[in-house]
Amino acid sequence: MIPLEFPRRFAALVLRFAICIAPHDTHDWGRGMLSELNHVEGNWAALLWSLGGAGVLAKHAILAVMLLGHHRRSVSSASELFDKEGPMRKTTLAVIASCVLASLLFFLVPVFRQAFQVSLSQWHDVIHVQRSLGYRAGDPDLDALAKKAEQDHDAEALAFVAVREPSQSEAVRLADEAVRLDASLTWLYQIVAVQWSSFPELDRWVAALAKFDPQNALPHLITAEKIDIEQAVREHIPHRTDEEPAAWKDAMSAAFQSHKLDDYLDRLQQLDRRVLVRHGISDPFQAVNDRWYRLPSYGISDSSCYAKWLIESGDSLAVRGDRKGAAEKYLAVASFGQLLAPTDSFFLGREIKTAYKRLGELSEMDGNKAEAAFYASLRDQLDRESEKEHASWRSRFGGSSVSRWNALLIRLAGLLMLFCGGILLICAVGVLVRSRSVRWASLHPSRLTLTLGLGAALGSLLASAVLFVSYWPYSRALHRLISGSDESGASELSNFLGDARVPLGTRSYLGVSNAVFYFWFIVAVLCAFALLVAVVRHLQTRPGPDAA
Amino acid sequence: MKSPRLSPQTLRVLERFIGHPTAWRYGYELSRETGLKSGTLYPILMRLAKFSLLETKWVTTEDGVPPRHTYRLTPNGVELVRKAFAATNRSTLKARRPAFSGGRA
Repeated sequence: MIPLEFPRRFAALVLRFAICIAPHDTHDWGRGMLSELNHVEGNWAALLWSLGGAGVLAKHAILAVMLLGHHRRSVSSASELFDKEGPMRKTTLAVIASCVLASLLFFLVPVFRQAFQVSLSQWHDVIHVQRSLGYRAGDPDLDALAKKAEQDHDAEALAFVAVREPSQSEAVRLADEAVRLDASLTWLYQIVAVQWSSFPELDRWVAALAKFDPQNALPHLITAEKIDIEQAVREHIPHRTDEEPAAWKDAMSAAFQSHKLDDYLDRLQQLDRRVLVRHGISDPFQAVNDRWYRLPSYGISDSSCYAKWLIESGDSLAVRGDRKGAAEKYLAVASFGQLLAPTDSFFLGREIKTAYKRLGELSEMDGNKAEAAFYASLRDQLDRESEKEHASWRSRFGGSSVSRWNALLIRLAGLLMLFCGGILLICAVGVLVRSRSVRWASLHPSRLTLTLGLGAALGSLLASAVLFVSYWPYSRALHRLISGSDESGASELSNFLGDARVPLGTRSYLGVSNAVFYFWFIVAVLCAFALLVAVVRHLQTRPGPDAA
Repeated sequence: MKSPRLSPQTLRVLERFIGHPTAWRYGYELSRETGLKSGTLYPILMRLAKFSLLETKWVTTEDGVPPRHTYRLTPNGVELVRKAFAATNRSTLKARRPAFSGGRA
């Protein structure tokens, strides 16, 4: 239970503290409030008295810090006396105007506009609810580029849009159109097929790819994946590789016998650069097209199963004394491992090492020590490469702390700019409405308005500076990436953009879709509350029936 | 001349003073009479004092009780406030504050 005297003691303590922080010329007033505290009836009323007085003193303390040229004046007219809002403080207004102007001047710099766009991207999924729910939401800029490309018969621009298009049918259509206009872009089929996996045109595309580049293993992996998906749809999934259909085995056999595995990502990167430069696209989210996957989604699993099956077959042949047959099986696995190296070989690390081991054992049995040592060295090399690739993937997907911090700063600065802009707008509208005039001399902002305006203007300038400085290194990295002079920053830039797109606070506490739900829920509740307040106030102020 | 903008709270305080222009008033007393909280009353008093329309004084009331801060309008204040009230549209004032002519409660 709270002692009866406690609120009064606390009230006195609060007021004494407020007097300490208040400017010197208000100390008498503060002591006056404190002395009146002895006469206030009721402990809780005393506390309320103290809190009100402390608020007044605190406001003066803030004003003393924020406002310059705060001097005692004498009054000369009645109108001046009753002006609750004091005369305009020119110094403060000049500071506010300078800060706002400086913040606006930032927008003249293209890099800053880009940074502001990136800072707003965290709202993208919140505003475009259908995208966060998994429905297609087209990008207006991308749609416009596709339309222009179709009108101009620009095959490269069509290809650029096709690999970024969120709708499968549209991506397939655009890719078909691009290849129809320029057959040298047939490789585009592979990029889109790896992305979408299963669609009616796939067989035709794979045939075209096989004709375009007969030595490439990837179209065969795409065929195998299509068979996997059909089996999954029919709910007829084989548990052993022996049970796989002949078409699947043929596709995997062709893949393992291929001489190269080209993902065509280099060609795509070159095409992206040409289109970005030609069409002056500066949106970093469109410019950075970081594709971490180069194989079909079932490709690794299929390759692993087939490699195991080949090793088992080789083991059976070796037991039966067919060393040559066994060696062929092991070599098929080893050579496919070489095709995957260095970026993807660690996915099949175990199978490839087993193949090298078996090959080494066969060489030793044949008395070929040099060959056995060679296979042993390949195994060691694979271990080292796998370790390096693991570290590279961790860094690629985890991102660096620098990119995470910069993304946080950019999102905070963007929010602060919006908040400060809103406050400045409210202050300006409030002053205009209360002054009922747009004439400069007639504007009489209150101290509170000036303080809020000054705080918002300073906040806006600070946020603009932080936004610009935080984004600057990434704009340089983007520039180097587009110009092709240096691609080393692509991964860092991609991680930064990925982090910047996540609404602030959602990664730690809530998923993005939850954040979208809670955001709109809070907006709806606030709207309902505002409506309720408006209705209540209307009912309170409505004249009664006897008012007339 | 532009008509002054009178806040209802300032009016409430001034009418307490103008009723007995020479009397010294306490802050808590004014708060009770006007119904204004300390956070509203004191900014009004401070503004009036800033414009030299209100004078302040510390008075000792009883032994052992700390001195109290008291307030009253200065002669300039009384004159200026009366002029201001005269210049203000009476009907507007009545509509805003029917009990304007009231003295001490």
